Amino acid sequence: MLTHHHAEPIRPKRVVILGAGGFVGGAIKARLSADNIPLLSLTRKELDLLYEGAAPRLAGFLEPTDSVVLVSAIAPAKTVPILVKNVRMVEAVCEALSSREISQLVYISSDAVYADDALPVTESSPVAPRSLHGMMHAARELMLANSTKAPLAILRPTLIYGAADPHNGYGPNRFRRQASKGEPISIFGDGEERRDHVAIEDVAEIARLVLVHRSRGVINVATGTSTSFGDVARMLAHEYGVTVVRQQRSGPSARPLHRFFDIVDCHKSFPSFCYTPLTEGIMKSR
Amino acid sequence: MKSTIGFAGMTHLGQNSAAAAAAHGHLVVCFDPDPDIVRRLEAGERLVTEPGLDELVADHRSSLTYTSRVADLGRCDVVVLSTDVPTNDRGESDLVPIRSLIEQVSRSLAEHALLVILCQVPPGFTRALELPKERLFYQVETLIFGRAVDRAMHPERFIVGCADPAAPLPLPYRTYLESFGCPILPMRYESAELAKISINCFLVASVTVTNTLADLCERVGAAWHEIAPALKLDRRIGPHAYLSPGLGLSGGNLERDLATVMTLAESTGAEVSVIESFQRNSRYRKDWALRTLHRELFSKKLNPHLGVLGLAYKENTHSTKNSPSLALIEHLGDCRLTVYDPVVPATAVNRPGVQAASCMLDVARGVDALVLMTPWPEFRSLAPRGLADVMEGRTIVDPYRLLDPAACGEAGLSHFSLGCPLPRPLEH
Repeated sequence: MLTHHHAEPIRPKRVVILGAGGFVGGAIKARLSADNIPLLSLTRKELDLLYEGAAPRLAGFLEPTDSVVLVSAIAPAKTVPILVKNVRMVEAVCEALSSREISQLVYISSDAVYADDALPVTESSPVAPRSLHGMMHAARELMLANSTKAPLAILRPTLIYGAADPHNGYGPNRFRRQASKGEPISIFGDGEERRDHVAIEDVAEIARLVLVHRSRGVINVATGTSTSFGDVARMLAHEYGVTVVRQQRSGPSARPLHRFFDIVDCHKSFPSFCYTPLTEGIMKSR
Repeated sequence: MKSTIGFAGMTHLGQNSAAAAAAHGHLVVCFDPDPDIVRRLEAGERLVTEPGLDELVADHRSSLTYTSRVADLGRCDVVVLSTDVPTNDRGESDLVPIRSLIEQVSRSLAEHALLVILCQVPPGFTRALELPKERLFYQVETLIFGRAVDRAMHPERFIVGCADPAAPLPLPYRTYLESFGCPILPMRYESAELAKISINCFLVASVTVTNTLADLCERVGAAWHEIAPALKLDRRIGPHAYLSPGLGLSGGNLERDLATVMTLAESTGAEVSVIESFQRNSRYRKDWALRTLHRELFSKKLNPHLGVLGLAYKENTHSTKNSPSLALIEHLGDCRLTVYDPVVPATAVNRPGVQAASCMLDVARGVDALVLMTPWPEFRSLAPRGLADVMEGRTIVDPYRLLDPAACGEAGLSHFSLGCPLPRPLEH
């Protein structure tokens, strides 16, 4: 649950985005720019967190009135070396924060920090990652929490979709690309696994809300509605006039893994915010 | 021979217990350290809302003496401590005020007088008091808001904590208890203190299982109100089981006992994960109306007009402690809000711009959605067609199913209640 330092929204003096060149960082940058919020957008070109000297270089950018949004990550972290690199990136951020006062830190984490069987997932669900990617984010959250006295807001988005997503992971993004090329959409088995899919614009909007309220705490970024991959595929197939084909799963058939969120904390933190319904969001991202 | 019974603390519990003692033929001294409370009680002013209490007090007024002089308890054979034990946000008890009252009262007791603690205290509290144990007792209270008079007049049993459960109860106390004509169960202090908590834990278990299955009903198209009667006919569950779905636990007393069990577990290493689940489920169910409103209203209309019927934490009471209605209102987004409660004034709502309706139908006028947050019996008389005529929107959020879902459907209203399948979307 978030607590707001500003009950009424106040524009931050300046927002420093680390990882502004990526899918999520870029969307946050665009959203804040639309509100004319002063920005310092740092991509890997300006600041590579893996380079020696990254910490003092970052510290040199920071002002005490800055709100910092940390999005930089090598994702997904599927191997141990990538996990370690991700941890080293945040080590540099922590080192910079130890010598610089800031106004707020916002970390874009992931719902992978929760156990697969957490149902429904809430902000109070235990952090118990079962993947290297989840462990990477869990470790980074803890490192950051121990490195700054500034209010720390942790956003844990679930599966994000959007036109600019560079990943081609199983789900709305890949389905839409297949359909837009006139190809059949392929799903595993019956595509019965139900997941929560969130529009990139909503992730950016939650980040904006957290910044203008100078919030502290954890918030999941999920719509509260879970849809099966099969239904997403059929919806897009209908829109684009293509077919859905079933792909055999490799290996023994496992129990379908669903993920549901209870987003009542979001309703309480941002009572006037509503998520984009999946159908509308996917159509918008065409 | 009747005893003279003193009650220290003119709380909800104290007022009802004192009136019941008078009704059973005892002379009763009602002490409260607050002279203003005593003055108002003497003047016949209503300080708590409880069906039948005003009449009971009026019928036995000559047996009731109100006083703010603690020395007046000196003429009592038995003094019953009936003060509130306040709790914090986590439901944990603050025992400082009761300790202070015990100290004050015990100094004024007659030499032969007995002291009975009728408040919710944790196991070990009574024995730790530095008072003569042969004159010290703990008695379980089972007050239920809205049914307090009936419970005080006709208790199911008395559970009495004693230093020595094998010893007969002293005559004045036994006389007082026997006048109610129900079983008396003496046991050691700790057992009685934990008996109170055990009763509440069993109630919470029923409530939690009901709420859990009602949630499932809403998701799979089953109707809990069709299932519950079948369960009540099962002897292992019973006709009086708590099988009505609700908005989590509220009122404070059940939460207090769960918090006490958690605290005891922390210091003793007992495995109490089920209690933690009760607490989690309660927190989850409290937000049922907020979830429903976001799904059915806020996600569909900007700045809607919302009507809320009921502010009290439950029917037949003025109490708003842990009120689901006030908790809901606290988290509402931008909207116009009109409220009505038969007893609680609109000023209890801490939100600017709230409109107070003059009657229950008035609250529905022009609203996009109507929420019935307290199950006041009079709300059942609202006619769905009449509501449909004055409402702008079609959404009725009625957790306790006070209105007839079929009649709502016929009136073109979408009716949402706990444990019921979601209504079919209206055709436009």
